[in-house]
Amino acid sequence: MNGSLTRIYVVFRKEAMDNLRDRRSIFSALSSSLIGPVILVLLIYILGKSIFSDRLLNPLQLPVSGAENAPELILFMEQNGTQILPAPANPEVAVRNGDADVILIIPIGYDSEFSSGRPATVQLVLDSTRQSAISSVERTRDLLSAYNQQIASLRLIARGVNPTVTSPLAVENIDLATPQTQALIFLNMMPYFIVMVVFLGGMYVVIDTTAGERERGSLEPLLINPVARWEFVIGKLAASWPFAIFTLLCNLMAFALAFNVFPLEDYIGIQLSIDLTALGWIFVIALPMVLLASALQMIIATFTRSFKEAQTYVAFLPLIPALPGIGLAFLPVKPTLWTMLIPTFGQQLLINQLMRGEAVSPINAVASAAMTILVAIGLTYAAIRLYQRERLLFGTK
Amino acid sequence: MIQVNSLHKSFGAVQALRGVSFTAPDGCITGLLVPNGAGKTTTLRILYTLLKPDSGTASIDGYDTVSQSLDVQEHIGVLPESHGLYPRLTARENIRYYGQLRGLSGDQLEQKIAHLIELLEMSDIADRRTDGFSSGQRVKVAIARSLVHDPSNVLLDEPTNGLDVISTRAMRSFIRRLSESGKCVLFSSHIMQEVSALCDNIIILNRGEVVACGSPEELLRATGQSNLEEAFVSAIGSEEGLLRS
Repeated sequence: MNGSLTRIYVVFRKEAMDNLRDRRSIFSALSSSLIGPVILVLLIYILGKSIFSDRLLNPLQLPVSGAENAPELILFMEQNGTQILPAPANPEVAVRNGDADVILIIPIGYDSEFSSGRPATVQLVLDSTRQSAISSVERTRDLLSAYNQQIASLRLIARGVNPTVTSPLAVENIDLATPQTQALIFLNMMPYFIVMVVFLGGMYVVIDTTAGERERGSLEPLLINPVARWEFVIGKLAASWPFAIFTLLCNLMAFALAFNVFPLEDYIGIQLSIDLTALGWIFVIALPMVLLASALQMIIATFTRSFKEAQTYVAFLPLIPALPGIGLAFLPVKPTLWTMLIPTFGQQLLINQLMRGEAVSPINAVASAAMTILVAIGLTYAAIRLYQRERLLFGTK
Repeated sequence: MIQVNSLHKSFGAVQALRGVSFTAPDGCITGLLVPNGAGKTTTLRILYTLLKPDSGTASIDGYDTVSQSLDVQEHIGVLPESHGLYPRLTARENIRYYGQLRGLSGDQLEQKIAHLIELLEMSDIADRRTDGFSSGQRVKVAIARSLVHDPSNVLLDEPTNGLDVISTRAMRSFIRRLSESGKCVLFSSHIMQEVSALCDNIIILNRGEVVACGSPEELLRATGQSNLEEAFVSAIGSEEGLLRS
C-alpha cells in the first residue's frame, strides 16, 4: 500500500506540474471562476438600475397630451412630484419605439364630462410587456387613482355623505421582503455558478491527462511501467483536484468581493452581503462535487479519440446540473432529505440556504456529501475498469 | 530471456497471430524481421503485457506476461512504436518521471539519468523542454526513459525509424553495447540490412507465423540462398513489405 501511495503521488505530482506549465489550464481555471460574479454584477448593474432606482432617485417624467383640458389634474400631479412634459406628436409611435414609458392623453371632452359629474375619460398609452416601463406606468396609475379618490371624497362631502362609506375594506400591505430577500432574485443564480465552476476548474487537466495523453502517443509507453491501472487513474484524477479547488476558491472570493465591496447599493438601493462563515461552509459543501466532476469527466474523456473531441463532450457536463438550478430560480424547492440524494442538486439547495442566512440541517449536509462521495467512488471505479481494458490503447468504444 | 510459445491472437475476424513461438536468449541481439501488418506490433504488445493472447504463453525471465504482468514490467525496458514525450517537460524530467514510476529516487536516480544522458550523447538537450525536438532527439529521450531502471530485457520497436544516417549508426552501436553488457535485446525492423548487420539471431514473421529463424548462416543454409536478401525473400515468399536500405 505504501508503494501504491508513492506511485500515485509520482503520477499526481507529474500531472500537476505538467499542467501548471500549461497556460491553457491556468487560463481556463481562472476565467471560469470569474464568469459567475461578472455576470451577476452586470445583471445587477443593468436590471437593478431600471427596476429599483427610478422611484427613489428620479421624479416621474410624464408626457401629457391635452394638459390644458385638465389644469387641476395637472396641478395635482405636479404637486406630487411629477414633471409634466409636452407629448410627442404621435403618442402611440413614441411608446412603441420606447421614446416614452407611458403617455397620458386628456381628451377635449374631459372638462364637460368632469363638471357634469360623469366619469371623465383619460387615456394611458403604454406597452405592458416592457419591463423597464413598469415602474413609470405604476406610478402614473397610483397618482391618477389618488386624484380619483380625492375628487370622489370631495363630491361625497358636498352631498353630505361620509366618504368612508365607500371604503368598506381598508387593505394594508405588510411586505415581508427585507432588502436581503429582494436581492435574492440575483443571489438565486449563485449556487449554479458555483457548481459550474467546480466542473470547469479541473476540466482541462482531466482531458489533458487522459485524451491528451493518448493523442500525444505517450499512453502506450506509460502503461508499460509497473504501476497498477487504478494507481494511474487515482493519480491523474487527484492532479485535477487542486485546479478545481483553486478555481472554486477564486470564484467564492470574487463573489465575496462583488457582494461585500462592489457598491451594489448605488444600483439596487441596498447592499448585499455574505459573511465569511457562510462562504466557508459553501466551500466545504461544494468540495465533494470536485471528486464527482473529475471522475465523470475522465470516463467521458477515456471514450474519446482526441483532445478536441473530449473537450466537446466534457464541456456539456456543467449544463446538466444547470437544469435543476434554473428551475430553482423560479420554483422554490424545499431542501428535503430526498433532494439531498441528488448529487449537485442537493448542494445547490444547501448553498441557497446558506446565502439566505437560513440554518442548514446538519443531516441534510451530511446526506448530500455522503451520497455525492458514494456516486463519485462508483464513477471512479468505472473509470478504473475502463483503464483496464485492452481497447484503452486504441481509444475506441 | 524471452520465451514465446504458440501465441494466438485475433481482433474480430482478423487473425493477427497464428501460433508464434521463439526464444531470445540473454547476451544476444534477436531481430524480428517482419513485413508491415504481419503481426509485429501484436507480438510485442503481448510481450510488454498491454495485450493478452487468446492462447499460448509468453514469459520474460520466467515471469508469465498475463499472470505476472507487473513482474514482467519490472524486468523489461521498452521502446514502443509510439514514443510520445511530454512536451512541457524537459528531457531530463521525462526520464525522471519513468524512473520515479519504477520506484527510483534521489541520488541513485539522478546518477542513472546522468549516465544515460552521457551514453546517448544528449547532454546538450537534456534540460530543454521536448517540444520541438527532432525525431532523433525524441528517440534518444524515449530510449533513455525506458532504460532508466537498467532492465535485463530490452524491447525496441523500430528504433531507427525516422532517424538520419548519423543517428542510425549511433543507435546501432548503442544496441550492440546493450547486448555486450549481457542484456537480452529483441528489436524489430523491416530494414533488412540493419537486421543482418546487428543480429545474432533472426526471426522472420509473416502473416502471424514464424516462417524462418536462426543465425544468418543457418538462414542461408535453410533457404539454399547465397545472400541474406534472397534468403529473406525466399522465406517470406515475396518482396512485399520489406525495405532494402
